[in-house]
Amino acid sequence: MTEVKKLVEKEVLMNGTQAVAHAAMYADVDVVAAYPIRPYTEVMDTISKLIADGELDAEFIVAEGEHGQFETVKHASLVGARTLVGSSGVGWLYGMEAIVVTATDRAPIVAIIGNRALDDPGAYGVEHNDALMVRDVGWLLVWVDTAQEAFDTTLIAYRVAEDQRVLLPLGISMDGGFLTHSEQIVRLPPKELVKNFLPPYNRGKYLVHPDNPITVAPQVNDDWVMEIRRQHEEAMERARGVIVEAYEEFKKVFGRYPGSTNELQMPENPFVEPYMVDDAEVVLIGMGTVSKPMKVAIKSMRRQGYKVGMLRIRWFRPFPTQDVIKYLANSRVVCVVDRDYSMGSPNRGGVIYHEIRSSLYDLDQRPRVMSFIGGLGGREITTQDVKKIIKIGYEHRDTPITKPVYWVGVRGDPW
Amino acid sequence: MVEKEMEEKVYKSIIKTIKDTPLEEFYTSGHRTCQGCESALVMRFLAKAAGQRTIVIGATGCMYVANTTYYSTSWIVPWVHTQLGGSGAAALGTAAALRALMRKGKIKQEPINVIAFCGDLGCADMGLSGVSNAMTYDYNLLIVLYDNESAANTDIQETSMTPYGAQTSFSRPGKQRRIMKKRWKKSVVPMIIAGHRNIRYAATMTPAYPLDSINKIKKALAIGGPTFIHSLDPCPKGWDYDPRFSHELGVLAAETGLWPLYEYTDGEIAYNEPTKSIVEGRMKRKPVKEYLEKQGRFSHFTEEDIEHIERMVDEMYEEWEIPGVMPIKSLNVKISDK
Amino acid sequence: MGVKDEVKYVEIVYRGIFQKRLAKYIAEGIVYTAREIGRPALSFGRYGDSPERNGVPAKYYVGIGNGVNEEDLIGYSTRVEPDLVDTIIVLDDTLLKGVESWAWQGVQPINLKLKSNGTMLVTSTKRINELLKMIPKKDFNWTLGVINTEPSFSGLWAFKDDLTMEKVWGGLAKLRPDIIDLDHLIKYVSKKQDANKRISAVKEAYSSVDYRTVMKGEGIDFVYNPPRLLTWHEMLEGTVIPAVPRGKRNELFKRGTTKFERPTVDFDTCIKCKLCWIYCPDECFDETPDGYYDIAYDYCVGCGICADVCPVKDCIVMVDESMFTDYRRPYEMWKENKAKYKEWLKNVRQARKERVYVPGLGR
Repeated sequence: MTEVKKLVEKEVLMNGTQAVAHAAMYADVDVVAAYPIRPYTEVMDTISKLIADGELDAEFIVAEGEHGQFETVKHASLVGARTLVGSSGVGWLYGMEAIVVTATDRAPIVAIIGNRALDDPGAYGVEHNDALMVRDVGWLLVWVDTAQEAFDTTLIAYRVAEDQRVLLPLGISMDGGFLTHSEQIVRLPPKELVKNFLPPYNRGKYLVHPDNPITVAPQVNDDWVMEIRRQHEEAMERARGVIVEAYEEFKKVFGRYPGSTNELQMPENPFVEPYMVDDAEVVLIGMGTVSKPMKVAIKSMRRQGYKVGMLRIRWFRPFPTQDVIKYLANSRVVCVVDRDYSMGSPNRGGVIYHEIRSSLYDLDQRPRVMSFIGGLGGREITTQDVKKIIKIGYEHRDTPITKPVYWVGVRGDPW
Repeated sequence: MVEKEMEEKVYKSIIKTIKDTPLEEFYTSGHRTCQGCESALVMRFLAKAAGQRTIVIGATGCMYVANTTYYSTSWIVPWVHTQLGGSGAAALGTAAALRALMRKGKIKQEPINVIAFCGDLGCADMGLSGVSNAMTYDYNLLIVLYDNESAANTDIQETSMTPYGAQTSFSRPGKQRRIMKKRWKKSVVPMIIAGHRNIRYAATMTPAYPLDSINKIKKALAIGGPTFIHSLDPCPKGWDYDPRFSHELGVLAAETGLWPLYEYTDGEIAYNEPTKSIVEGRMKRKPVKEYLEKQGRFSHFTEEDIEHIERMVDEMYEEWEIPGVMPIKSLNVKISDK
Repeated sequence: MGVKDEVKYVEIVYRGIFQKRLAKYIAEGIVYTAREIGRPALSFGRYGDSPERNGVPAKYYVGIGNGVNEEDLIGYSTRVEPDLVDTIIVLDDTLLKGVESWAWQGVQPINLKLKSNGTMLVTSTKRINELLKMIPKKDFNWTLGVINTEPSFSGLWAFKDDLTMEKVWGGLAKLRPDIIDLDHLIKYVSKKQDANKRISAVKEAYSSVDYRTVMKGEGIDFVYNPPRLLTWHEMLEGTVIPAVPRGKRNELFKRGTTKFERPTVDFDTCIKCKLCWIYCPDECFDETPDGYYDIAYDYCVGCGICADVCPVKDCIVMVDESMFTDYRRPYEMWKENKAKYKEWLKNVRQARKERVYVPGLGR
């Protein structure tokens, strides 16, 4: 057995965006396309400095708009380049034509989305709706909640997206402000280990190059679209297995589970983070940084006798339906914290609420589900808020839900 | 490459007669274009000039939908679709990726042509910002604007490239208003040249002059850096004439002066025939009436409208400092000759 | 009772762009007339035909409810194309040679969708017997009608009001009074401008349309082999398809049926200037070893540019497509027997008519 190398090269204080930039450098990206929009911009600031300092050899293109930005990396990817791109809020929406097409073209770009509220009016704070806009069109979507997880997940992202069984673009979401602009300690592994984990990007017969003459995306009619979508859907399903493989590989090569540090041990499930769910009667669901205040509140309420737990969703697409069922089947109330909204949807609930509810529908015995819409536009969801949510959930263990949706802390409604 | 070497390389590769034109096609029969489609001829010329070591990127438009019709293709070289306004960015991404991959040894070092084409909307309207951005970098790429003077693929609508008064589904003459499209056609090449210092080559062309066209494409591909070509393509569907006259109309566009043929190489403008003869006074411009009366899209024109166009063209050649090219009439300052 | 008895369909096959409005207005007339009779009716084009391209065959449909209410009619007709049609109206006789509208369709026989005992009505100056030399045989009896008129072509911006519509309606009323009948048709037409002129055209066509029953097995052999569409397992991922191999042409869409005229070449007078080759937007010319330019007729779309640019008088001349039965290339025919070829050339060219159409109001 080979000598166990030092698995931490250095510990650096960095915020979520810097973590992603460093991971992209470790992954030896070839082409980066940048365009500024708060709060993700620092990814590009960081990576351009890394290039200028000679730590990364890549082409750095400043686009004239997000549409151009995403078009650039889509085409670079089709030609065989590993790419990094990103945006936030309405910037992400400005590029939407290019973004959607990237999935059907099967270009495995990795985009970091600094989740930001949508205009109008302008607001920089976190909301998840921007990234969620592509939930139907075949993008892989994952949410991270610490800078360490951002770093690790970026390496995972290249591994999964570029896998020949997958070849789908991947969006790594991180909360604007709470993760993009707060610094935590990130343990950086030795750079040489990365090539053991991340093979070179190989498009095989889908490479655009004069040695492989193909036409990519000819016009089609009703004879072809069903089949194209079906293939795409199948690739999304294959991604599930590839994600599991990638996390196991990561642990083997880097000696720890992605997102884990000495202080913070992650349970070994790629898709979700279960926390005290085994005997929980009320389970909270969240995505992104809200998970940490949730854990603090849960610990406190447990001491008071409440049987409560949390299931954090990491991978939103492909949605971890079986894990959700497994961890929630025995609970009595599920309180979904939605840092998003879905205007006019059934019960006026949020997006995650609908996905959870739909996952549980076929069970003969299923828990009640509630939606807590909160934290929009960067408003805090504090441990106090979480405690209140737990209490409300607790009230409905035996009584039917009369009000399925609460807006957490909104002035004008009782809270 | 040293300048002298570059000049030699470019000069030696110029095709001097039609007989010398290489036979091999890299864009071939079996595309669903209209009878007499001159834009298809542009595709043929650019593929032929570029050869096998090429990647072509096509924006949504007639030359996308008609050429790769329903899950088939006419392209022999690798071809990738991009969105309507995406040509500039797509060309940039492709060229940047090739440079990075070659430099890092991930693919073999070799010159690979990158050509992105776009139509009226894709280049002059929606995609203008992307094209402009591509022109500011130093990657080797060529952007071709194939101009059929309308949004042709959506069944002929007005764009900024549509000529004054022309009929399109957005500018049909009616009982109240005869001329719906009053704005004059944008001059795209001058815009590109004037605003982007580092581009070494830009040109206008029309496929009615095939040698001129093919040689311009070759020069653009050989000279290095971002380059731009604007091609005027008679469109029998939109312009409304019998397809067999497509060639004739292309010639008339140049001979009436409405479509000046010139190229810009490293800071110098050179005219090409027949515009050269017009500008140097050896040939008189044909009256625009000859060109306009042959197209159904101008059938609602009165003498007044024809005169207006004639005057606009006269101004281009009689009053502009650089005839046919730049709408600058004079410099009101005495330039010292030190 | 199946769909067949409940809805009657009329299929109008036409040359894209040139006859776009004509087809639409003919359909409109049939719909309104059917409604005069008291039947529900609707019309629709094929979405896949658009955007239409000059000359590429396209189809328009009229659906008429026969003992079926409007809602059910819409229910049956929310289709890309109906499976079977009662009547086919062909607005250009060269369309009889086949219809290939887009890739992966193969070249379809003109009467592919015709129902047993159906009717086909063609606008043509040719006689029934001449037309039957171009029409594929069916294994049932059907009726063929001819309206004696030049094919009506027009450009995009103007509609050529040359009474073709009225003639087609008149012929249809005679052959298929179960779809539209003369009285109601005249009632509809009389509401239009210049009604008298139109009504005479209707009546004239009604009385003069030439028709007869075509027996089963009568007609030519037509091999219809559409390519099999791939399954999602067989397709490459990422909407990728292989490029055309070097030296070849696009096998999936040949578009020879786009033409209503084809260029004939008098190789004896050819000066090998190569202009036809260079100006062809469809890359149809192939250089022969001795420097002539041969035409791949299966790909030629009949635009006429080669005839226009050829500097030698009468070297390239456009000839009516219906004079030809196959896509045999001219060069090999000439090489085989130069004298015979010259003779043949003279014959087909003599029989040709002037290219008939005025696109819009341009030349």
